Amino acid sequence: MVPTEHHGDQWEPYVDNGGSTLAIAGEDFVVIGSDTRSSDGYNINTRYDPKAFKFTNNTVLATTGYRADCKSMAKSVQAQITKYAHDHGKEMSVEAMAQMLSIMMYQKRFFSYYVFPIVAGIDKEGKGAVYSYDPVGNMERVGFRAFGSSSALLQPFIDDQLGFKNRADIKPEERELHLPDLQQAKNIITDVFNGAAERDIYTGDGLQLFTITKEGGIELEELPLKRD
Amino acid sequence: MSITQYNGSAIVAMTGKNCVVIGCDKRLGQQALTVDMNFEKVFRVKDKLYVGLPGLATDVQTLHDRIRYRVNMYDLEEERAIQPDNLAHMISNMLYQKRFGPYFCEPIIAGLTEKDEPYIMGMDLIGCLSSAPDFIVGGTASDNLYGMCEALWEPDLGPDDLFRSASQALLNAVDRDAMSGWGAVVHVITPEKTETYHLQGRQD
Repeated sequence: MVPTEHHGDQWEPYVDNGGSTLAIAGEDFVVIGSDTRSSDGYNINTRYDPKAFKFTNNTVLATTGYRADCKSMAKSVQAQITKYAHDHGKEMSVEAMAQMLSIMMYQKRFFSYYVFPIVAGIDKEGKGAVYSYDPVGNMERVGFRAFGSSSALLQPFIDDQLGFKNRADIKPEERELHLPDLQQAKNIITDVFNGAAERDIYTGDGLQLFTITKEGGIELEELPLKRD
Repeated sequence: MSITQYNGSAIVAMTGKNCVVIGCDKRLGQQALTVDMNFEKVFRVKDKLYVGLPGLATDVQTLHDRIRYRVNMYDLEEERAIQPDNLAHMISNMLYQKRFGPYFCEPIIAGLTEKDEPYIMGMDLIGCLSSAPDFIVGGTASDNLYGMCEALWEPDLGPDDLFRSASQALLNAVDRDAMSGWGAVVHVITPEKTETYHLQGRQD
């Protein structure tokens, strides 16, 4: 063996554990779907590691990326939310939580969490709200968003079905007039996740569907996805 | 970035009931710079037989020329029309002849057989064939196309519905891919005729 310089053996602070999330905002509800697989390369670490969690009676945070960072970040967010409730005697709103997360992420600007979060909830007007972020905290309120290893498979389909892109029947500007109902939104998520689980090796095993409504609070359904 | 992604492309082929469609985007780029907005990547081989060539544009043109030459020679020597499976194996063989210095192109074949049954076939850049009962996608927008096609494709679609599904799949896929787009062409192949549609898409 010829002695050579060693390259590529450096310690890497980040790992992509795969998985996908997809949130859809309706007139008075939000649905957020996420798979439960967690992988490292060709290995599946676990088939049940939920990516989405309830934070208040009105908000869910779903995060793909590096699992350790997702969990660490979620823990910090939960701590702040609990503290807020004690300090102010009320639950934090989605708007406040969304803004807070952006700030918390930007505070780690130069050693960022490797995460792609989506915050979903019902806003102060009673409307469905979805906020999406990049890993340094750039935030945008959107009508629907897909993140994670299957984002390329999921996003074009919801652009078509919910954004009415490239369609003859409905113009994208008229999207607000054609918001999906709860069942439609759920069907879109389950359908497109089944497609993603078919083709993306990092998405599969189980699908968690969080539904948030003003009256019903947060409901969780668990459905099976392909396990191979 | 791989050399197969240097110019950008998106191609999709779908089967239906006694029909197939094959479509492509029209962009030609050099990485992020768009050079041509009317660069088609799907070519007619016979009336009911088309080949899509996603990949490096120089190899797309060279392969198209060589396929045309080989198919013309086949016509003269065999005195019968080449069938889709014959063409697939012909191209596969051409690619494997360049096993250690390949064309950077992953061809997709779509057509109707002698019995007017739909036929689609894909292959990698060294000619490894892969068939599918439903759809085959290729190019820089292939992930996007997989997502669209998995959701939109269903068995036994007629030519009109199949055209709609393939067009929606193609347009929405290329809109989320920076390397492909700038309009699309879709060929709808039925036993009676082949119709070609030029689709208006986002110009950005």
